[in-house]
Amino acid sequence: MAIKVDYVAKETFFNLKRNLSMASAALITVAVSLTLAGGALLVKRGVDRATIQWKGNVELSVFMKADAAPAESDAIDRQLKAMPEVKKFHYVSKPEAFTEFRTIFANEPDVRDAIGVDDIPPSYRVVPNEAEQTRLIGDRFANTAGVMRVSYAKDEVEALVSITKFLQIMLWTVAVVLLGAACLLILNTIRMAIFARRREVAVMKLVGASNWFIRVPFMLEGLVQGVIGAVAAFSMVWVLRNFFQSWIQSSNSDVQLFKQFLVTGTDVLGTGALLLAVGMVVGVVGSAVAVSRFLDV
Amino acid sequence: MAAPDGWPGVGAGQGGWLLFGLQPGYPGLSANAHRCVVATPFLMIRIENVTKTYKGGVVALRDVSLDIQKQEFVFLVGPTGSGKSTLIRLLIKEDKPDGGRIWVAGKDIGQLNSWKVPLLRRNIGCVFQDFKLLPNKTAYENVAFALEVIGRPSHVIKAQVPQVLDLVGLSKKHANLPHELSGGEQQRVSIARAFVNRPLILLADEPTGNLDPSTSVGIMRLLDRINRTGTTVVMATHDHNIVDTMRRRVVELDRGSLVRDQARGVYGAFT
Repeated sequence: MAIKVDYVAKETFFNLKRNLSMASAALITVAVSLTLAGGALLVKRGVDRATIQWKGNVELSVFMKADAAPAESDAIDRQLKAMPEVKKFHYVSKPEAFTEFRTIFANEPDVRDAIGVDDIPPSYRVVPNEAEQTRLIGDRFANTAGVMRVSYAKDEVEALVSITKFLQIMLWTVAVVLLGAACLLILNTIRMAIFARRREVAVMKLVGASNWFIRVPFMLEGLVQGVIGAVAAFSMVWVLRNFFQSWIQSSNSDVQLFKQFLVTGTDVLGTGALLLAVGMVVGVVGSAVAVSRFLDV
Repeated sequence: MAAPDGWPGVGAGQGGWLLFGLQPGYPGLSANAHRCVVATPFLMIRIENVTKTYKGGVVALRDVSLDIQKQEFVFLVGPTGSGKSTLIRLLIKEDKPDGGRIWVAGKDIGQLNSWKVPLLRRNIGCVFQDFKLLPNKTAYENVAFALEVIGRPSHVIKAQVPQVLDLVGLSKKHANLPHELSGGEQQRVSIARAFVNRPLILLADEPTGNLDPSTSVGIMRLLDRINRTGTTVVMATHDHNIVDTMRRRVVELDRGSLVRDQARGVYGAFT
């Protein structure tokens, strides 16, 4: 039996309207929790992007001059191979480094497009046997011919990673707790909607409305709350990210740490899709539980 | 009369519909029943050794067996608590018997999947003492609601609702809300709602319980008229006058047991 779309839409809308205060409470909770979850996800994206060159336990990078001679490079290569303290290393060529650069500065087309592949320094990414040997290795190359600079993971990212890790854990904890609360609130909203419509439901059962015909408007009500909450969360995340991004770019020294902390529009959209999915799941789960527990069909 | 639909295998019109979808071993039919389709009075309801005990050991029905044929009009009588309402609840599968089996229109309803229960209920109209009308809907909307929620298209609703409101004598009050109607009129709306889908069976649980005697007569005329269209009517009642006047089959329950089953009976048969 086909369920009439206009009937279901009408029922869902009037249920939400009748129960506006409860529905808003559920909706706001969904929105806040998903905003926090979205924030945590974007922080993680930003950190991943900013620390891309330090992936895989790389503790130091030896940047060559952009115009370093091949012989100078080979010398570095030989030396690294000969060092017992070096566990492994890999060479990041100019084109590879250029791709990496474009990823990091994806959001800043001015910077990104001003620099060509020949301006980019190639580098050696070094994984030491022991973290304590990092300086020892780095010092040997600091003044070698063809080397532009040696940079250390410790200086560049450790603070960033430790700060954001704490931030992420906090955001996630609060987000998960609030999501649970949102689920319960939706459950309660649906429960009240079922109670408000108990006469209709009794008559529907009596005249033989199918079980799904009775359930669907309530389920849909939960879904709508989840979706609207998610959309609100997405807008919040979008606004906050733009605000944060422009704040980083306009201010100077004190947020130097976050200079490379960038989140692209694609990241935000991907996160938005995820938030929408989570919102839908929360809405459907909350209302499904309410329907199965309080709607005896 | 329109063929009842929504019931799997039913839909062949007046004579033969009951034979569709019959389960093997259905007790009301002999092996060659298909040869005398039109002539045989069909079993609409068969209740076989049904027992129902509620929590706390209250026995509502004790080994009740009862056959009701198509087109019969049956009064269920007995004092409060004798099990009349329980029987009606069991027939629409709102509750399950602890023992025994119930067939409705050839189906063992104990074996019905839960998703098929609505289909059973579409073939049984129900009328109650307290009407169970929706207070914020007009008479017309209350009746239309019953068709809407089983997915009938709107042109069917627009055709059938005025027709059935006319049948119950309320075509002029279709736009009134329940509180603007008298008790008798409200019960007529509720009967219209029960009958609008042309059910095979109409169950009425003390339909005149809240009404004065003269209003009750009007309701009984209406139920009689519905019975004459071929609908089986089962009515639980306390009302001596009605039962004695109508002289239809009377089934008496006392503390859950069937104590009397009398054709053309009266309320207190042995006095």
